Amino acid sequence: MDSVNLKVSYAPFIRSKDSIESVMYNVALALAPATVLSIYLFGMPALIVNVVCILSCIAFEWLMDTVRKKPNSCLDGSALVTGLLIALNVPANLPIWMLVVGSFIAIVGTKHVFGGLGYNVFNPALVARVFLLISFPAAMTSWPVPFSVDMETAASPLGILKTDGLEAAMSSFSLMDGFYGTMNGSLGETSTLALLAGAAWLFYKRYITITIPLTMIGSVFLFTGLFYLLDPTTYASPMFHMVTGGLMLGAFFMATDMVTSPLSVRGQIVFGLGCGLLTAIIRLWGGYPEGVSFAILIMNGFVPLIDRWDLNDRKAKNQKKSETT
Amino acid sequence: MISEAFIPAVSSLGAVALALGVIIHFVSKKFHVEEDPMVTIINDILPGVNCGACGYPSCNQFAEVLVETKDSSMSCPAGGSDLAAKLGDTLGIEMAEPKPQIAVLMCQGDNDIARETAEYMGIQDCWAATQAFVGPKQCRYSCVGLGSCIAYCDFDAMRLENGLVVIDKDKCTGCEACIAACPTGVLVMQEKKAERYFIACNSHDKGAATKKACDAGCIACQKCVKVCEDDAIVIDNFLAKIDQEKCTACGKCIEVCPTKVNCIRLEHDLNAVKQKKAS
Amino acid sequence: MKTFNSGGVHPPENKLTEDISIEVMPVPSEVAISLNQHLGKPAKPVVKVGSEVKKGQLIGEADGFISANVHASTSGKVKAVKPHPHPGGQYAMTVFITPDGKDEWAEGCNTAPADWKKLSKKEIIEKIRDAGIVGMGGAGFPTNVKLSPPPDKSIDTIILNGAECEPFLTADHRLMVETPDLVVQGLEIISSLFEGKAKAYIGIESNKPDAIAALKKLAEPKGIGVVSLKTKYPQGAEKQLINAITGRTIEEGELPFDKGCLVQNIGTAVAVYEAVCMNKPLIERVLTVSGMEIAERKNIMARIGTPFREIVAYCGDMTAKTNQVIAGGPMMGKALFSLDTPVVKTTSGILFLNNSRLNKSRERTCIRCSKCVEVCPQGLGPWLLANVAQLKEFDEIQLYGLANCTECGSCTYVCPSKRELVHWIKYAKALVNNRQKRKSA
Repeated sequence: MDSVNLKVSYAPFIRSKDSIESVMYNVALALAPATVLSIYLFGMPALIVNVVCILSCIAFEWLMDTVRKKPNSCLDGSALVTGLLIALNVPANLPIWMLVVGSFIAIVGTKHVFGGLGYNVFNPALVARVFLLISFPAAMTSWPVPFSVDMETAASPLGILKTDGLEAAMSSFSLMDGFYGTMNGSLGETSTLALLAGAAWLFYKRYITITIPLTMIGSVFLFTGLFYLLDPTTYASPMFHMVTGGLMLGAFFMATDMVTSPLSVRGQIVFGLGCGLLTAIIRLWGGYPEGVSFAILIMNGFVPLIDRWDLNDRKAKNQKKSETT
Repeated sequence: MISEAFIPAVSSLGAVALALGVIIHFVSKKFHVEEDPMVTIINDILPGVNCGACGYPSCNQFAEVLVETKDSSMSCPAGGSDLAAKLGDTLGIEMAEPKPQIAVLMCQGDNDIARETAEYMGIQDCWAATQAFVGPKQCRYSCVGLGSCIAYCDFDAMRLENGLVVIDKDKCTGCEACIAACPTGVLVMQEKKAERYFIACNSHDKGAATKKACDAGCIACQKCVKVCEDDAIVIDNFLAKIDQEKCTACGKCIEVCPTKVNCIRLEHDLNAVKQKKAS
Repeated sequence: MKTFNSGGVHPPENKLTEDISIEVMPVPSEVAISLNQHLGKPAKPVVKVGSEVKKGQLIGEADGFISANVHASTSGKVKAVKPHPHPGGQYAMTVFITPDGKDEWAEGCNTAPADWKKLSKKEIIEKIRDAGIVGMGGAGFPTNVKLSPPPDKSIDTIILNGAECEPFLTADHRLMVETPDLVVQGLEIISSLFEGKAKAYIGIESNKPDAIAALKKLAEPKGIGVVSLKTKYPQGAEKQLINAITGRTIEEGELPFDKGCLVQNIGTAVAVYEAVCMNKPLIERVLTVSGMEIAERKNIMARIGTPFREIVAYCGDMTAKTNQVIAGGPMMGKALFSLDTPVVKTTSGILFLNNSRLNKSRERTCIRCSKCVEVCPQGLGPWLLANVAQLKEFDEIQLYGLANCTECGSCTYVCPSKRELVHWIKYAKALVNNRQKRKSA
């Protein structure tokens, strides 16, 4: 009995099973349906894109931990999720070197320059996507057609909408194509169904809350719906906006990124509304056909401000209380 | 072709620069603050670490008050007597000789001497540790040994060694910043002296309890009190204390101390010894 | 089903001892009775080394208004009065008694049950005070003080706390199942102090259906409401319990009586009954011995002052894998540094755990998952409090509601980065106190 070595720490002495690893690997698991579907739709090239992105992200993570003399975190799952998200955001025929550049921008240029996991202001995968889109616009907007053997490419429905107008866009695909994913687009954003299945898993495990996706998708629906009602010949229906582009991927997997979204519920509502409105505005009148990435990145920049607003508000209330008592 | 693009660009930028320059000029005139040049001179003499030992939040404020009041009793503990002389020369007054102080750790219970309670696995900070339990050492009056005070030292005079804080006597300026950072109150300020005897123990436990917890604890045996010819040692609440004013550094107490590791310590302040020799 | 309005967690309940009857533990070979078993000033010792004491005899006298009497828990000889480890993690003055084996009661103690209805309000409070009764849930606030709120505060709700939301602990649960009559009578005595103006409730978590049934049968005919509460931690925290049952919120700086409420623990109610009707001072309590690393898990009736070492031996020793022994529950208890630590009035359980996560550098960076914000029952931002504490901004931190934190541990429990959120908050509280002390000195 005396041989027992007592150790002292502070309460509580039991902890939940959640850890950074469990959160990250569950997010990766939730992305699996979309990833598997992308490989089914686009074949071997899609598999290569996924493998390259994941491996290069993990490698850059290891490199940065070594350079910064930090405990090695390359297998904590966060680099894996970033790699998966980059892969889901690019066309299947993107050259490998561009994928490596994108991973470099995400891990080194977005995450580690701010101090690593937990400190980055912007979503790494989104910065990578926007960087690639601006640097290599041609490669990033010619989307392969599903099941095509010789990598036939075409514009995405949103792209057609922007350049050729509503009729051409509507005739290029059906809404059910968008829902199941059998349309042109980046690896992961084509299938609304696969993304919803993954998101359901995250809700079940309670790693994300409904606030941000609901407010973001809801505001896109209402905003585009309003203009559809005003002029159905120029503006696409809200259902068209739901199933095309990266809205579902962005709303469930990028906007909800823990590190780059607000902490309080009311902050999350403001954040979600901002993302949704900016997405709709860019889609309807912007220079780019798709606005989800830009919208989320812009709102990422506002997150510290939103959190500060919430804190100052609490502080002011506490001050008032202490003055009255 | 070139001039078409060149001239409007250069001229418009030039105009903007000119306008801003004029505005800056007037603003600096309008909001100019009159400052006594003496404050800047004094501020340059001061150590400039804003340690707060003088009672003012910054060196600059100390300088402002000193220039305005010319109060000769004001002193900068971090600067010592050299600085006092310099300040006096600059201001043309006789500054009072400051009593140099030094932080002293009243504990010798390092990891070998003090008995340990249990391994502490929480936040590695003295305050956090004492919230969880009595501390990693059995003696509740001892140096906790996780070094919370070190972060408060502006002069890089403290370090952790074998579970005890060690104070570098040459670097310590006596600014007192560390005193408030200690949860057990084992750090105290003492006057700098050439030879300084003190009881390096903080335990107010009864002798038996102290002895059980630590080999270097004062057990309040009264031997040093009896042998002291200057009446400089008193026992207060089971702990001996040496009155630095009365102590003549005869060293008799250290010979009679019966504890395993002598609880009375003699420390030489080297700089003070040198100064004494020089004078 | 009723519950508090926001936050809360659901750790594995692990009520391993809920069906095991209370066992009376024999007199230990030595008792070490701490003089600091309550909130407020420690009691003053009134016995000398070498003097004989009887069971129930006063050995420490309340020192001041917020303090409590301490009594001998067996008869014997006073061996020493010296500082000794206390379950709170610190040292406290402790009276050591070597039992003489006779276990004789002092005169006038443990009499046959008498009818309390003949006693006046003042007499009841005095009896509770003399018996040294304190809140047995964990805080140890002297019960006689709590039962005499300032005259300008009117109490309209009395709540008996049978939630026992901490995992592992089943002491209150067993008391409710085995002695429901004493619980109800204790509550009736407490209600009588408020002249029947206050409505009495017993709040019990829904994972104890047998206790709910037992008390419903006895309490409801007497007009006492038995409320089944959702099983959720910290349902049994005072502020959360009041919120769950009455819907009222205790704001920062307020005490329950500011909102007309009074909360007492189940064990306290039984102790009140025994003190008032049987003149029995608080010298023993029910506690749960549990955890994965002890051979026999039990609910035991142990004397105040029983060293944990003897309880370990009585329960068939702990395994070699044990690395933490906890006094209290796993969410809010304290890790012990010595098995010589004795049982005190607030010890609701002893747990033997093998905590595999212990590691000096286990804290990782915050990934801003906002789980701590979600589970905080007080609506605070624990991540923020911890961050500001780490930055040592002790003026700033008070504006974020530091004083409002009840240290329930829900945030630390859920944190995926395994940050020591509550410990940082406790650290900040200690330093804020220290600064205020220095300012006023």
